[in-house]
Amino acid sequence: MGLSAGSGFQTGPSMIENHPKLKPPRLAQRFLRWYCKPRLLEYIEGDIEEDFAKRYFKSGARSARLYYTLDVIRFFKPFAIRNFSKTLNSNTMFKINSRIAFRNLAKNKLYSFINITGLAIGIAACLIISHYVLFQLSFDRFHENADKIFRVTTTSYRNGEYGNTGLYCGYALAPALARDVPEIDQTARIHAYFGGAIISAPGTTSPRPFFEEEVLFVDPSFLDIFSFPLLQGEKESALKDVNSILITERMAKKYFGENNDSVIGETLRVNGGYTREEFKITGILKDVPANSHVKFDFLMPLARVLQSEQYTAPGADFGWTNFFMYAKINANSTEKSVEEKMVDLFHNYDPDLEANSLKIELSLEPIVDAHLRSTIDNEDGDQATGGDINSVYFLIIISAFILVIAWINFINLATAKASERGIEIGIKKAMGAIRPQLISQFLTESFWVNFIALLLAVGISYSLLPILGNIIGESLQLDLTHPVILTGLGLLLIIGPVLAGIYPAFILSSFKTTQTLKGKSSSSKGQYNLRKGLVVFQFVISTLLIAGTFTVSRQLNFMKKRDTGIDMDQILVIKGPRIGVTEAKYEAFTSGVKSIAGVESLGTSRSIPGAGYSFGTTARKEGLDESAEKRIDATWIDKGFMETYGMELIAGRDFSDVSTENNNGSDGALISETAVKTFDLGTPEEAINKKLLISGDTTIIRGVIKDHNWRSLHKGYTASAFYFTPGTTRFFSVRMNTQNTKSTLEGIEEEYNAAFPENPLEYYFLDDFFNRQYEQDQQFAKIFNAFAGFAIFAACLGLFGLASYTVVQKAKEIGIRKVLGAKSMQITMLFSKKYMLLILVANVLAVPIAYFGIKNWLQNFAFSIPISAELFLLPILVLAVIAVLTISIQTIKASMANPTKNLRNE
Amino acid sequence: MKGTNLGEFQELILLTIGSLHPEAYGVSIKEEILNQTGRSVTLSTVHSALVRLEEKGYVKSEFGEATSIRGGKRKRYFVITAAGVKMLAEAKEQREALWDSLPEVVFKLDLQ
Repeated sequence: MGLSAGSGFQTGPSMIENHPKLKPPRLAQRFLRWYCKPRLLEYIEGDIEEDFAKRYFKSGARSARLYYTLDVIRFFKPFAIRNFSKTLNSNTMFKINSRIAFRNLAKNKLYSFINITGLAIGIAACLIISHYVLFQLSFDRFHENADKIFRVTTTSYRNGEYGNTGLYCGYALAPALARDVPEIDQTARIHAYFGGAIISAPGTTSPRPFFEEEVLFVDPSFLDIFSFPLLQGEKESALKDVNSILITERMAKKYFGENNDSVIGETLRVNGGYTREEFKITGILKDVPANSHVKFDFLMPLARVLQSEQYTAPGADFGWTNFFMYAKINANSTEKSVEEKMVDLFHNYDPDLEANSLKIELSLEPIVDAHLRSTIDNEDGDQATGGDINSVYFLIIISAFILVIAWINFINLATAKASERGIEIGIKKAMGAIRPQLISQFLTESFWVNFIALLLAVGISYSLLPILGNIIGESLQLDLTHPVILTGLGLLLIIGPVLAGIYPAFILSSFKTTQTLKGKSSSSKGQYNLRKGLVVFQFVISTLLIAGTFTVSRQLNFMKKRDTGIDMDQILVIKGPRIGVTEAKYEAFTSGVKSIAGVESLGTSRSIPGAGYSFGTTARKEGLDESAEKRIDATWIDKGFMETYGMELIAGRDFSDVSTENNNGSDGALISETAVKTFDLGTPEEAINKKLLISGDTTIIRGVIKDHNWRSLHKGYTASAFYFTPGTTRFFSVRMNTQNTKSTLEGIEEEYNAAFPENPLEYYFLDDFFNRQYEQDQQFAKIFNAFAGFAIFAACLGLFGLASYTVVQKAKEIGIRKVLGAKSMQITMLFSKKYMLLILVANVLAVPIAYFGIKNWLQNFAFSIPISAELFLLPILVLAVIAVLTISIQTIKASMANPTKNLRNE
Repeated sequence: MKGTNLGEFQELILLTIGSLHPEAYGVSIKEEILNQTGRSVTLSTVHSALVRLEEKGYVKSEFGEATSIRGGKRKRYFVITAAGVKMLAEAKEQREALWDSLPEVVFKLDLQ
């Protein structure tokens, strides 16, 4: 029934008028009108509407509206969509505005340079820091179940008083907890190969032994809990056999060369404190990522170390606390609920605790917090915490500051230039430009400056990141694919232009047409004050950063130079051999070394300064009860040690007169001055021959050593005890005289190779080794310095721009002053004075903030530099000089110029 | 010949325009197709085919009257051009030639 729509609905008008509801959906209609080609719009819209009306009468309003919308969406096809890029009006404006922007940038080259470089530096600083920060924050997040893996920490209290928080526990804790806390899915214990091992591959053509420290004994569940994938071998069976060993890819290359396809099944000989046999390689692991707090090159079965005499002895289950424990809790449990269950469980396991008036609480620490937010006390060696979340926050703040400084530069320069643009704006307004158009013009300019700066920043970070990586010892690469970086850059590109551009855009577009055309400067007092405020802000930040840099480097210097009570110069430390050590060889080596001309003395010990003590325990004065127990750290030294290290005895005798043959532990111990005070032994002289119960053993005090820094200066003097050993092969320390270091070293090497041929020789200088404890601080200092430099440069750039601009504006004033007889010097002073005042104000604001910041930071160190006026005065002086130089470049140039030149052109 | 060949749907539209002459426009074409073939097509498919046919020069269009059911928007009437007629004829010829060449046996197949 060929219904002709046109004729069929000729009665339409009246029907439609009677149906006020007959209105197409507004949104769909607007969408259609927005996208549709104007040429097609009328009849497409007409057709849709006609269809709509028909459907309305047939099936009602809802169906009609729905189909209207559907139709509109269906029409969103290439044939009906207009060409936005060519026809959108504002797009043309963008093009024109961009052209004007580029002309302006090209016209004021210096200004553009300052603006763009300043911004680029700011953005680059942000980019670089965010890479570093992201790296720090990414620690241990690569594990599949990262949020469900925890390490178990123990917090001890003695008589209700906090002792310490640590990770070490006995091997029986893990099975006990797994039994008593059903929420714990899996546990894994780790036992480090203390003292390291010498590893060689006997199957290769020329086996070469290496000294390896990153060796761990682990439970087989280790591979389940953590995501350390195996490249070769079976995960399930890899650690089942006590004679198996897993190695990383890196190690496979090291021991078996590049062609290491058939490494599985090969054997490695592992010689050290726990093993002296060959192990079969059952798997190759992917290298441990740099952002893992667990680091290893070799994994061996924990079952093997549990076979050792030490752990099979009675009482070893909780007595030997050499294990770390990790737990994976089940998916439905929370850290808190599990923690509540386990907190007091320890008492069920170790009944001796109460008797010792000791309390141990168990808790969980998420592994993702292990690197930056660890709750354990920072200890030496294996228990050292990684980074520090505060320094990460701090860097984020600095980078934000640098960016803000750069944006302020932009705002300052743009508003300062305002009067120059006055005529342009006046004419545009007179021609009929409305304010939004002008605002969009200046925002476009801002956009391009930001955009170019962003590109430049990407270039800068690309080249600087590897350098930064070198400084901090991590490999950092510009990673533009990282979602956070990408969003960050995107946001910068949107926020940057708006934030930096909106104020100048509003100021510039607000100019009155008539005034600007008359040539009146429209800079108001308010703008001028804002500019000044912003400059002050920049300089506050700069002062803070310079003061910070200065303090950090002073403190680091102080730590390196301070008299630690130990003479660390010219001490060579040789790591002791592990294989084939006999008394005869030991004697041969030590006497051989002593006879070398360049060697002054030799001492052996179980530990050395900077490497921590051999063990920490508790002690009390004889006659007091157990509640008087306090912590004491101890190690073993031989006769020559005190002399070699230049440690000073202040009372009693040292070990030099002990008879080696008659050593039965009755020689007593040397204790530190602090220990005398800690255990209430009176004066050092009075302490001699008194008795201390150290770990329950009565120990006679033989002598008192002057306080010294065995550990880093972050920590205070320790209560410590030194036991006598006739000789140990753990560490040889050699004091050399300054002559002919090279031949002395060669001599030592010869002796070592002759005495311990199977052992690789490893040695280092003690001062280097000791200062390695400050690596974190040094990294921090270096990053801090770099970014302080960035910030100061950016701030000076801004000041330079502002000064140069003022000078140009006041060229005539300068000319007149000169004509009237002013000297160049006077003019320079006149212009510098204003800025000096700003710097002064900035410093007044900055000093108190800097004071609190410095005070706070120095609290990280038990031994720190005093907070002196110098710490503030110097930065102020430095900044003032830099600022004056910056301004002077411009003002001197202006004051030297021939006044006629400036006065001639009108 | 690619590009000037007619698709099946375009041929259908072209024929419909011819049959509705001179009152062929978007909605009427759509409804005619529904009535004649039972095929329910959307307006946008019709329009996109019309645009293509016009580009190829087989139809031409002009604005017609506005009605209030269309919200006061004018119709756009389509008529076949000489080229369009020629194209239709060619298509028909091709088919007939093919029909003629069908052997008798085909018709005897039990096609149910």
